[in-house]
Amino acid sequence: MSALEWWLVLSALLFCIGAFGVLARRNIIVVIMSLEIMLSAVNIALVAIASFRTGVPGGGTLFALFIIALAAAEVTVGIAIVVGNYRHQRTVQADRFDELKG
Amino acid sequence: MMPGGDFHPVLFVILAAWVLVCALGVVLSKKVMYSAVSMVFCFLGVAFAYALLHAELLAIMQLLVYVGAISIVVIFAIMLTEVVEGGYRQFFTRTALAAAALALLTAGAIVVAVVSDGVAGATEKTLNPGLQELSEILFSRYVLPFEVISLVLLAAMVGAIVLSRKQEERR
Amino acid sequence: MKAIVALIPILPFVGFLVTLLVGRRMKHQAHLIPTALVTGSAALAVAAFVWVHEHEGELFHYEPLAWITAGGPSSLWPGVESVALKVSWGFQVDSLTGIMLLVVGLIGMLVHYYSIGYMSDDPGYYRFFAYLNLFMFAMFILILADNYLLMFLGWEGVGLCSFLLISFWFRRKSASQAGKKAFLVNRVGDFGFTLGMFLIFVTTGTLQFTGVFEAAEAGDIGAQTLTWVCLLLFVGAVGKSAQFPLHVWLPDAMEGPTPVSALIHAATMVNAGVYMVARSYPLFIQSEWAMVVVMVIGTFTAVYAAFIALTQTDIKRVIAYSTVSSLGFMFMALGAGAWVAAVFYLFVHGFFKGLLFLCSGSVIHAMSGEQDLRKMGGLRRKLPLTFWTMLIGALAVVGVIPFAGFWAKDEILAGAYSYSLTVWVVGIITAFLTSIYMFRLMFLAFWGESRADEHVRAHIHESGWVITIPLVLLAVPAALLGLLAGLPPEAGWIHGFLEPVFFEIEHHEFHWVGAGGLLMLVSVAVVLAGIGVAYRMYVRDVEEPKRLAHRLPIVYRASLNKLYMDEIYEVVPIRATVSFARWLWMFVDVKLIDGAVNGVAALWAWAGVRLRPLQTGRVQDYALDVLLGLLVLLVIFAWVWVV
Repeated sequence: MSALEWWLVLSALLFCIGAFGVLARRNIIVVIMSLEIMLSAVNIALVAIASFRTGVPGGGTLFALFIIALAAAEVTVGIAIVVGNYRHQRTVQADRFDELKG
Repeated sequence: MMPGGDFHPVLFVILAAWVLVCALGVVLSKKVMYSAVSMVFCFLGVAFAYALLHAELLAIMQLLVYVGAISIVVIFAIMLTEVVEGGYRQFFTRTALAAAALALLTAGAIVVAVVSDGVAGATEKTLNPGLQELSEILFSRYVLPFEVISLVLLAAMVGAIVLSRKQEERR
Repeated sequence: MKAIVALIPILPFVGFLVTLLVGRRMKHQAHLIPTALVTGSAALAVAAFVWVHEHEGELFHYEPLAWITAGGPSSLWPGVESVALKVSWGFQVDSLTGIMLLVVGLIGMLVHYYSIGYMSDDPGYYRFFAYLNLFMFAMFILILADNYLLMFLGWEGVGLCSFLLISFWFRRKSASQAGKKAFLVNRVGDFGFTLGMFLIFVTTGTLQFTGVFEAAEAGDIGAQTLTWVCLLLFVGAVGKSAQFPLHVWLPDAMEGPTPVSALIHAATMVNAGVYMVARSYPLFIQSEWAMVVVMVIGTFTAVYAAFIALTQTDIKRVIAYSTVSSLGFMFMALGAGAWVAAVFYLFVHGFFKGLLFLCSGSVIHAMSGEQDLRKMGGLRRKLPLTFWTMLIGALAVVGVIPFAGFWAKDEILAGAYSYSLTVWVVGIITAFLTSIYMFRLMFLAFWGESRADEHVRAHIHESGWVITIPLVLLAVPAALLGLLAGLPPEAGWIHGFLEPVFFEIEHHEFHWVGAGGLLMLVSVAVVLAGIGVAYRMYVRDVEEPKRLAHRLPIVYRASLNKLYMDEIYEVVPIRATVSFARWLWMFVDVKLIDGAVNGVAALWAWAGVRLRPLQTGRVQDYALDVLLGLLVLLVIFAWVWVV
């Protein structure tokens, strides 16, 4: 098993831990945190592959850079929404946000 | 920057353990604050991973953005919202078990896929371009996404401000 | 000639379309176009007849348009050597067609004129003329066709028009039911016709008359098959020409307006069956069995209908049963081999039966719609023209010398005599009954004191000229046609005229002194005796009928109730069919089919209800489903990749 495969396995495990967090935790903020973990996992995979294979020089790294920027934007807006929502519903429990039920 | 195959198994294992344990900490902690702190350490580990992969720019960026900014935002959010007490059940959704199973399965599937056939490609580590080269590529080949990203960030800022305004009574 | 022949059916068809489209706006003028076009057709028909007369023995053939070209070797069924079916819009005119053209054209035209007066205050005025024109179109197609399928088109067309016109006053329940009955009973006959056509096609590969007859004469058709073909075709004739047992629709068809009864149910449509059998002459002469069947049914129907006519009280019904009886006579003649006699009778019958119906229409019109003979009487003085024309018609029907009916009927009887004595006796009996019921009608309606209601009696008046002129015009041939066409017997004009069609007929020499003359004398005597009986029963001693009815109650009731034919039909096939239909409806349609369709809908509704809980409104649950889907995809891809 080569080095790249190790990195990819790490990425996969990290991704799935993040996925579990997104799906299983009730607190939305923890969900957002888990989401960041998933994104980081993906970044690792990208950079790893870019390091071990020829392709566009720097392509993987730059892609990951853009993902970091977007993640920042996303967290910003997401937290703003959560806090705003908290003002109205006084809760951050994801279970309670089911108005679109049925 | 060291050319040639320089995969340090020991460093890798330490790094991997660090990142995974912190991630588990994020996901499994009862207290939100513990999750947030775990997250910070997790990001540190990821930055270390980038460094190991010779993507120094990225490592620095990771530290600046994730550890420096995103973590702060999250902690602020935690401070602005409620704290939940209670048993373990309180912190997990009703489908947590199914989620765990599914996550395990997915992980297993990917790992099996990666390991069984391998990834065709060179095991020799190639160079990740340095800062100068990356900048050149960024401002020539990927200048458009670069500009667009700045717009996205602007939009996010504006959106966040708008969303957090106090809603005034409309008469 | 081609143009003449092609235009004959086209003109009334155009009339039908135009009248349907603009008739309603034209209101009381709606008759102009259809009547004019039909007059044109009649003129052309006469022209065609003249042509045939001049070109003795020639068969005019004109095929303007191909209709169906199907079959031939096909790539779909490579092993089957399929036969090509080629049917075209083709016309054929020979002596037989010429005679039919005269009857249909002239009587059709006169009925149109008659209807102008008769139907004048009917709200459906324009509709009536449209249907009449459509009928003329179909009837012309029927007689001009050069192949069985096109003839069948006209056959069905006249059936349709019959239905439309019988139930013309469709708001009246009895009328619409009568229309349905006519159509359905006809359909049974049509089924036989269709099967016959199938058989013809399968054995000869063609449906064109010339082709089929050639094959028949060459002996290409097996003897048994040929018999079946004839019998099946005859079933069609039984339906269309109201022979036993498919006669039940004709009396009920009297629900339609009288011009309809005159045109369709006396002069033209019902003759289609006779025409078809006559046209299929080369087929029938080769099958003894078929001829026997034709003759037996015809003979039985003739006397059966005459028996029923004795007690009917509706003036139109008497004449209707008389038509059935006359048609039976014609079939009797055909079956006994007296082909020319049958066509001769058809020729004159169209005129005098049409005359009788139109006269009865005039009577009904004068009686303000009353049709019951028991309420009539003494009309002789009040409706002189109608009376005299009707008298001529009656004399023609019963066959008093020298009126038209006599010559034709006598020839039929002569043919029957040379065929079999029994048949002749039945024929004579029928003639006797015919004169009784016919003159019963005459005496009840025109003699004695009026038995009508007060206000009806006040309104009795002779009909206008639009009605009476056709009566007079029809009375002339009713009186004279026999003399003109059929004299001397067996060697008259018509015999020579029809010889090319009915080749190989034995010619009987007729002797005024000898067997022929004697038969003539007997039939005249019988007819006069019948008139005498009727006179005694309905003029001299008015109570006599009632006494007779008392003494022979069973006989009387059998006759009055049409020998319970409708009741038999009700019990045997109708009830079973209706219950079967009901079962099909309630079980198969409602439970099975509707059940299946509704079941499918219910299934989806149920599925929807069961799947609803998936929509929890929680994003995390949805994300879980996404992950699940991703996993499935991964597995599938891996599977495909590995395998």
